[in-house]
Amino acid sequence: MIVPVTTVELFNVVRIKPEAAELLHAITEQQLADWEGEWVPELFKAMQRLRRADVERRQWPQSRHWDWRKKAAVLQGMLANPGFSIVCDGLTQGMMIVDTVKHQARIEGQQGKHLVYVMFVENAPWNRAELFDPPRYRGVGSILIRAAVALSEELEFHGRIGLHSLPQANEFYANTCGMTDLGADPEHDSLRYFEMTPEQAQAFIAKGA
Amino acid sequence: MGAKRTMTLNLTEAEMEVLTALSAKKDLSKTALLRQALRLYQVVEARLESGNKLFFEDEVTKEKAEVMML
Repeated sequence: MIVPVTTVELFNVVRIKPEAAELLHAITEQQLADWEGEWVPELFKAMQRLRRADVERRQWPQSRHWDWRKKAAVLQGMLANPGFSIVCDGLTQGMMIVDTVKHQARIEGQQGKHLVYVMFVENAPWNRAELFDPPRYRGVGSILIRAAVALSEELEFHGRIGLHSLPQANEFYANTCGMTDLGADPEHDSLRYFEMTPEQAQAFIAKGA
Repeated sequence: MGAKRTMTLNLTEAEMEVLTALSAKKDLSKTALLRQALRLYQVVEARLESGNKLFFEDEVTKEKAEVMML
C-alpha cells in the first residue's frame, strides 16, 4: 500500500525554530512500534513523576489507557476510519483516527449533514506541556485537526468536523481551533462535544498554525 | 487520499431519481454520495459479520426495530 505523505512543519520548542515533518495519511506499523517503544515508556515515566509530586489523578493524561495497536487492528481496512500520523526527527509525534459515517452534524442549521468525527487524537508524551517542560514540538494537534478538516472537504462535507473532547483539551478546541462547544454529552461520559462549521473550518485554515 | 480510478455506473431511472434526491438532500455530488454509501455498507457488513445486529431506535420511545440484512 502506498501511503500518501504531505510535508508539514512543527515548531521545535527547544531550538526555537520550525522543523520539517511528514503528515502520513495512515497509521503504519512504524507508528505502532513508536507508540509501544517510545510513547508508552515516556508516558509511564511522566506518570511516575506526577504521582511522586502528588498531582491529583484527574490531572494525569486522560488518554493514558489508550492502546493504539488495538484501535488500529479493529479499524484496519475500514474505509470509514482512516488514520493519520505525524513523523518528525524519525519519530511519531502524533496520531489520529476519524470516522466518516457514524456521526452527523448537531449545530443549528447543520443538523443531519455529514461530518468527519475525530474518534482519537493524541500527541506524543514529550510534546505535552503538562508532562514535559519544555515540550519538544508544538503544532501537532493543529496539523491533525487541519487534516480532519481537509478530509471533510475532500469528502464534500465542507470542512465540518466534530469530536468529544477530553477535559484537558477543551480549551484547545474552543480557542485554538475555534470550534463551537455544544456542552457535556451524557451519552459520552459527559465529555464536551465540539463541532466546527464550514465557516469555522475556513477561518481555522486561514489562520494557519 | 489515494489515486482514484474511474468506473461507469448504469442505473435505472428509479435508482437515478433516488440518487439525485439523496445527493441534493445531503449536499453531496452523486459520486460523493455513492462513496459515502460504500463506506457505510462496509461498516454494516463488518458489524454483522462480527455477530452484531443492526437496529433503528426511536429517539422518543426508545423502541428498537431490527433491520433485516439479506
